[in-house]
Amino acid sequence: MKRHTAVPSDAAQLPILTQFLQEFWSAADLPPAETVTFELALEEIFMNVVMHGSPAGRVPRVDVSLALCDGCLTLMIEDDGPSFDPLLLAAPDVTASLEERRVGGLGVYLVRQMMDAVSYRRLGGHNQFSMTKRVREPTP
Amino acid sequence: MNVRLESIGLTTVVIPQGRLDFGSAAGFQSQLEQVLAGAGSKPAGVIIDCAGLDYVSSAGLRVFLLAARASQRADLAFAICGLKPAVREVFDVSGFSRVIAVFVDRANALAQTGPTA
Repeated sequence: MKRHTAVPSDAAQLPILTQFLQEFWSAADLPPAETVTFELALEEIFMNVVMHGSPAGRVPRVDVSLALCDGCLTLMIEDDGPSFDPLLLAAPDVTASLEERRVGGLGVYLVRQMMDAVSYRRLGGHNQFSMTKRVREPTP
Repeated sequence: MNVRLESIGLTTVVIPQGRLDFGSAAGFQSQLEQVLAGAGSKPAGVIIDCAGLDYVSSAGLRVFLLAARASQRADLAFAICGLKPAVREVFDVSGFSRVIAVFVDRANALAQTGPTA
């Protein structure tokens, strides 16, 4: 099962993308417990593009696709903005004290920890960020 | 996201309901700032009861972090309670549950945040 949508790189589009994901979840009858990982990944990576990957004067286009295969769900977020690899962001110190705690880089860190696999590549002037996690046992 | 407030003795209980994401984080932050400012210098505490919170992202975690820091500086007791599994996972993976007091439910949080009257 595959679904695709495209939106401008604008924070106001986040609820529309979340709804796209939730509709896929219902249509594919996926277990509710796993939805948080994908909702979080969608928000964190999309908002990264909105906040850091959108040059002044031009609004990149963001393509979002979901593909379910053998119980593994892949979320791909692609944009035509400037080259940016979120995996190069420094990981936050998750053992720092309350006063020293930083939130920068935390979103990408959460995504890396909660997904089974993440990858980035720059292809044809596009950033492609792909995330995969097993969401149910493969059908025998 | 809706936010309700309740007073129990000298403790203010903040009850967010729904989704704490990029879209709702700024509004929740200003509500918490008002609660913390209103607490003044009285011996008081703030509990955020998350039993109705379905989702939190890093934008939401940032709000909890700022509120916990502001409480510490103002010498107020600060605790979070009632995390649903989806929210608990984000708190645990981020390490936030190690620096912010997290309790199973409101009764436990109230018992730990000092006198209630």
